[in-house]
Amino acid sequence: MNPELQRNLWLEASPFRLALIAGLVLLAFAAASVAPRGLATPSGTALALYWFFAVLWGTRSAALSVVAEIRERTWDSQKLSSIGPWEMVWGKLFGATAANWFGALLCLPFILLPAAHNTDLAQALVYGVILLALAVFAQGVALLSSLVLIRRNTGNWRLDTFLCQVAGVGAALTYYSLWSSVSAFRRSGTSTLDWWGHAFNLSNFHLVSLLLFLGWALVGCWRAMRAELRFANGPYVWLAYLLYSAIYSAGFESWIGPRLNLPHISSPLVTKLVLAGLTLLTSTYSMVFLEPKDPVRLRWLGEQVRNGHAYKAFLALDCWMLSYGATLVVGLVLAVSWTTNPDGALSVLAMLGFLTRDVAIFVLMRGRAGGKGDFAALAILGALYLLLPTVLTGLGLPGLGFLFLPHGIMGVIAGWGEGVAIAWLALTRIAR
Amino acid sequence: MIEIRELVFEYPGHRALAGVSLTIVKNSITALVGPNGAGKTTLLRCMAALETPYSGDVTIDGLDTREAPRAIHAGLGYLPDFFGLYDALSVRRCLHYAARAHGIGAGAAAGAAEVAAGRVGLLDRMEQAAGQLSRGLRQRLAIAQTIVHQPKVLLLDEPAAGLDPKARRDLSQLLLSLRDSGMTLVVSSHILAELEDYSDRMVIVDHGRIAGGESIALKTGTRLRIVLAAPRDDLKDFLGGQGAQILEASSGQAVVSMAADAAARARLLAALVEAGFAVADFTEDTRALEDVYFAQTGRGA
Repeated sequence: MNPELQRNLWLEASPFRLALIAGLVLLAFAAASVAPRGLATPSGTALALYWFFAVLWGTRSAALSVVAEIRERTWDSQKLSSIGPWEMVWGKLFGATAANWFGALLCLPFILLPAAHNTDLAQALVYGVILLALAVFAQGVALLSSLVLIRRNTGNWRLDTFLCQVAGVGAALTYYSLWSSVSAFRRSGTSTLDWWGHAFNLSNFHLVSLLLFLGWALVGCWRAMRAELRFANGPYVWLAYLLYSAIYSAGFESWIGPRLNLPHISSPLVTKLVLAGLTLLTSTYSMVFLEPKDPVRLRWLGEQVRNGHAYKAFLALDCWMLSYGATLVVGLVLAVSWTTNPDGALSVLAMLGFLTRDVAIFVLMRGRAGGKGDFAALAILGALYLLLPTVLTGLGLPGLGFLFLPHGIMGVIAGWGEGVAIAWLALTRIAR
Repeated sequence: MIEIRELVFEYPGHRALAGVSLTIVKNSITALVGPNGAGKTTLLRCMAALETPYSGDVTIDGLDTREAPRAIHAGLGYLPDFFGLYDALSVRRCLHYAARAHGIGAGAAAGAAEVAAGRVGLLDRMEQAAGQLSRGLRQRLAIAQTIVHQPKVLLLDEPAAGLDPKARRDLSQLLLSLRDSGMTLVVSSHILAELEDYSDRMVIVDHGRIAGGESIALKTGTRLRIVLAAPRDDLKDFLGGQGAQILEASSGQAVVSMAADAAARARLLAALVEAGFAVADFTEDTRALEDVYFAQTGRGA
């Protein structure tokens, strides 16, 4: 047996704990079955308990499987072990959540049997797969978040665990709300979704999307665990994920484009590029906030480039750098392609300048204030995008808004001017 | 066994190691000493391939820590200064997990756990939860976990911190037995008094550099300081007759060198008392080691 799984089972799935969970679940069902009509049903209770065990508590257990190792100072010995990254990931993912899965799996038949009775067996089985995948997805996101957060070395394990739990539960709730909207679409007569020009059954599309994102979450865990265990990761998996997410989001143009109906300012290609660009932009901001941006490492990268080891530096690039590069490329292609709307093209170019400035602010603030620098950078961006434009408007100077908002040719000049200046400051500080 | 060449390690705004070069020979115990913040822990973590240096190289048994960290981990044991245990697991399960985690097969793990427990004297505690052990026993369990896979190199960061004198003595004996079984040990310590008990060489780390540029060979054996309440002129002759090497002697006190053997020391003390010497002090003398240390680090006692 995977030693990490076995250790977690020893710690998390003691007979006493499992008996306690089984007793509580049975008691809850008994209470639901004798409750007044309309107050609670066994299947409703089972669904609520499933969410509690598998998602709410499961994400906490998954996050703690890493955070608690740091807290208890056992992480170094794990990093020195011979356990491979994938073994470590699934040993933690299913071992640390063993008690949660025991409770959740007890509930599952009480959810699926009534569903099979009310609809049909195939639909009930699909629902079962969704519930299982949703729980693994939520726990995987929580585990991935914990692996990202420990690199930030916050020292606050309670906050770290809570944030990972929020990420996992948030991911599950987001997907579940989309899934729930399928029935609403059906009622309104929509049962298909256009994606890259093809009509897909809405339910199947959601299920496949969930499974694909679950796959990426697990790949993310594996990759983050590799980094912890001192394997070199290289940039290709992250680049593949960026490509996937850009293609996935661009595909919705088939569904969004006809509904927007703005042929005079946007072509299908431009809409696709906008969707892909926004996805990459989100990825850049997320990763530049989350990743450490260690000045020593950045200086080392610079030295590799100066010494002619560009490929070595490329292999060691952080995710935020790759995301930034991909955003720049897609943004420039979008600006060139948006011939029907020159103002839109200028806004894109300005936005790329402001993105450069914002990334440089994160790097600069991290160098000045360590982990707290990321939150300082967020505060600065809040001031730049919200407070200062509001003040300018209040002072009757809305014309100076281009200094802080991506708009027009002046916005392009201001965005890139600020971007280059702050990037120069950040690089000067790193080189010290 | 361990080659370190021009090692530089930086934390943001602080250079922890500034060009450390060092060779550690096979089958030896090297003590790393130095003031707090000198870079000892960073040096150990670089040796353990847990940190990537800014520049320079560390090779262990011919493997580069940057190129082959996982291969190095397979043949290495590392005990951090603040180590943790799985408190809810029994000693047996802790060791079984450590064995499996270090690649020992399921069939051999139980045996490896027993062997490791036997080496640190924990065989009678196998079913006790790690959380119920005393500090000294926890230290032994942590060391057992690091040696369960019979590593070639063992790195211990402040292993004697917080231990009572008996536990420290036991630790010294354990380190010597591990060296004698073929391991190469690097031990960081603040406690100069004990280094001569078990160390072959001492490396003084100060401000991220090796003070003096190289490791220092330590004498084997123990230096004892004997102080009399009532001076006697025959002290020097008496000690000479007991086979001790006299380093300095007067009628009131003497410093002698002898084998690092507790029984020999006990015999000498008994002989002094039996001969009517009023022994007021009979302690290990670390002044020479301290003199070297303070001379190298430039700090006064």
